[in-house]
Amino acid sequence: MASGLKSLESIVAMAELEIRRISHDPIELITRAIQPIFWIAIFGSVMAKVRAFPSTGDYITFISPGVILQSSTFISLSYGIMLVFERESGVLKRLLSSPMPRSFIVIGRSLAGGLRASTQYIIVLLAAVAVGAKISSDPIKLILGYLILVIACIGFTALSILIASGLKTRERFMGIIGAITMPLFFASNALYPIEVMPRAIQLIAEVNPLTYTVNALRTLLVEGSYMIGYDFIAILIFDLLSIAVALKLLHRIVE
Amino acid sequence: MFGGSITKAIEVRGLTKVYSGGVKALRGLSIDVEEGSIHAVLGPNGAGKTTLIRILTTQLSPTSGSAKIFGLDVMKNAAEVRKLIGYVPQEVSLWTDLTGYENLMIYAKIYGIERDRRKSVIEEILELMELREASSRLVKTYSGGMFRRLEIACALMVRPKLMILDEPTIGLDPSARRIVWEKILEYKKEYNTTVFFATHYMDEAEKYANLVSMVVSGNVVETGTPEELKKKAGGDKVFIKIDGNASIIESALSNIDGVRILRVRGDEVEFNVSSALALLPQILSSIQAEGYKIKEIRLREATLDDAFIALTGKMIAEEEGNIRELVSERKMIRRGA
Repeated sequence: MASGLKSLESIVAMAELEIRRISHDPIELITRAIQPIFWIAIFGSVMAKVRAFPSTGDYITFISPGVILQSSTFISLSYGIMLVFERESGVLKRLLSSPMPRSFIVIGRSLAGGLRASTQYIIVLLAAVAVGAKISSDPIKLILGYLILVIACIGFTALSILIASGLKTRERFMGIIGAITMPLFFASNALYPIEVMPRAIQLIAEVNPLTYTVNALRTLLVEGSYMIGYDFIAILIFDLLSIAVALKLLHRIVE
Repeated sequence: MFGGSITKAIEVRGLTKVYSGGVKALRGLSIDVEEGSIHAVLGPNGAGKTTLIRILTTQLSPTSGSAKIFGLDVMKNAAEVRKLIGYVPQEVSLWTDLTGYENLMIYAKIYGIERDRRKSVIEEILELMELREASSRLVKTYSGGMFRRLEIACALMVRPKLMILDEPTIGLDPSARRIVWEKILEYKKEYNTTVFFATHYMDEAEKYANLVSMVVSGNVVETGTPEELKKKAGGDKVFIKIDGNASIIESALSNIDGVRILRVRGDEVEFNVSSALALLPQILSSIQAEGYKIKEIRLREATLDDAFIALTGKMIAEEEGNIRELVSERKMIRRGA
C-alpha cells in the first residue's frame, strides 16, 4: 500500500516536472497558440462568410473545439521528441536505473505531455470568444471539457512516445509527426462535419480519436449538453491502446 | 561458494554484449570490486566501459555471462539492485530548464525518498556539494563543475551502497575536476560507499582509485593498485652516463634485484627499476665500487600511462577526437541549445 502510493508519487513527479518547466518558460505556449488563433480569426471568418457548410450553424463557434485540438494534438504528438533528446543525453539512462518501474516513464511522460498540451484550451477558447464564438459559460462544462482534453492528449502523447521509440532520431521523428498531423486533423470533424466527406475519408474520421475528442468538446461547450459518454469511452480505449503499445516498444529506445 | 567468502560489491563473470548491429562491446569480461573500495576501469573510448556500466545499472541485458551487485543478479533482481546504486551517466542527466533545487526534488520523488525526509536530504547534499547558493538558479546557467556536482548530488542523495560513475569529470578543467573528486571522497568517507568509476584520465585513476582495471576491447587486461601496475610494466626508467665503457658495469647493475637493463651503448646505460628512489643509493654505490664516476643521471618515474601502453599495447588517447566532440556536446546541452 505504502509502496503503491510512493510509486504514484513518481508518476506525479513527471507531471510536476512539466508544470515547473512551463512556469519557467510560459512564452513558448503562447507562441504555440498564435497559429490556432489565426485559424479561427482568418480561416473561420472567411469560411463563415461563404457559408460553405450550412449544417454547422455559426461557423466560428463550430470550429473552435476543432482548433483547440489542432493545437494541442500537435503539442502532444511532438512531445515524444523529449524522449529522443533524453535518450541522447543521460536523463533516460538515469531514469532507467532508478527504482521507478519503467512503465512509469511512459505513463508519467504521457500525463506530462497531456498537461502541456492542455494549456491551449484556455488560450484558444479566450481567443475564440474574443472573435465572437458562442461558448458555454457553465464552469462545470468548461472543467469537464478541460479534463476530456487532458485525457485525450495523454493518448496522443503516448502515441508520440511509441513513435519516438521506433524511430530514435529527431529528423525521422519530426518527419513522421508532420506526416500524421495533417491527415489526423483534416480527416476529422474538426473543421467540417463528417457528412460532407467522401466515404473513404469518413471511415478514417470514424476511427480517428481526434473526432471523438472534438465531438465531446462540441457537445459540452457548444451544444451545452452532457451527452459525452460514447466519446469518452472511445477516448479511453485510444488511451489504453496507445499506452499499452508504447510500453511494449519502450525497450527499443533503450539500446 | 564456500562459507566465509565476503559478498563483493560487484562480481562480473564472462560478460559479453553484442549489440543488435553486431558490435561486440564486451568479450567475456570479468571483474571483482570489493566493498568499500574505490575501483577504476581505465581504458580508451570504445573499450566497453560504458556498456559494462549500463549492464551493471540494469539498463541493458548482457548477451551472456553474469553480473552481480552485492550478490544480487542484475537481471533477475534488477528492482533490488536499483535501490542499492547511485549512478551518474557520462552524458548530461539534468533538466537544464529547471533550477538545481527542482532537479533534486524531482529526482528525490522519482527515487522514492520519503516526503518528510526530502527537504533535509536535499539541504544536506546541497551543503556538501557547495551548491546551496546556486540552487535557485536555472541549471543552464551553471558552470561545468557545478553542473557535474549537481549530477553527482542527485545520485548521492539516495545514500547508495554503491556509486557508479561514468567519466565523472569529463570535459572539466583541472580545478573543477579536483573539487568534484574532493566531494566524492568526502561523501565516501562519511558513508563508506563503494565507488566504481570509468575514466580515460590516467591521472585520475592513479590518484583516486585503490584498484585500477585496464580495459581494452571489451576485456579486462590487468587489475592492480596503481603502484602494482606501474611495477608490472617495468617501473621507473633510469639513464646513466659514466666516464668509461658502460658494458663493464652492466653485470654489476643487473645483479641488483629489481633492475632490468634496457640498453647499453658506449658510456650510456638505460634500465628499468621497480622503484628508482628506493634503489638509487645501491645503484650508485655499485657503480662507484667498479671505480667509475657518473657524468650524468636522468630518471623518469613511471606513470600509469606507461603502464597502460606496456600492459595493453595500446595508447589511451587514441580517440581523443571523440572525447572533444563529447565535451563540446556537453557544453551545447548545458547552454540549452
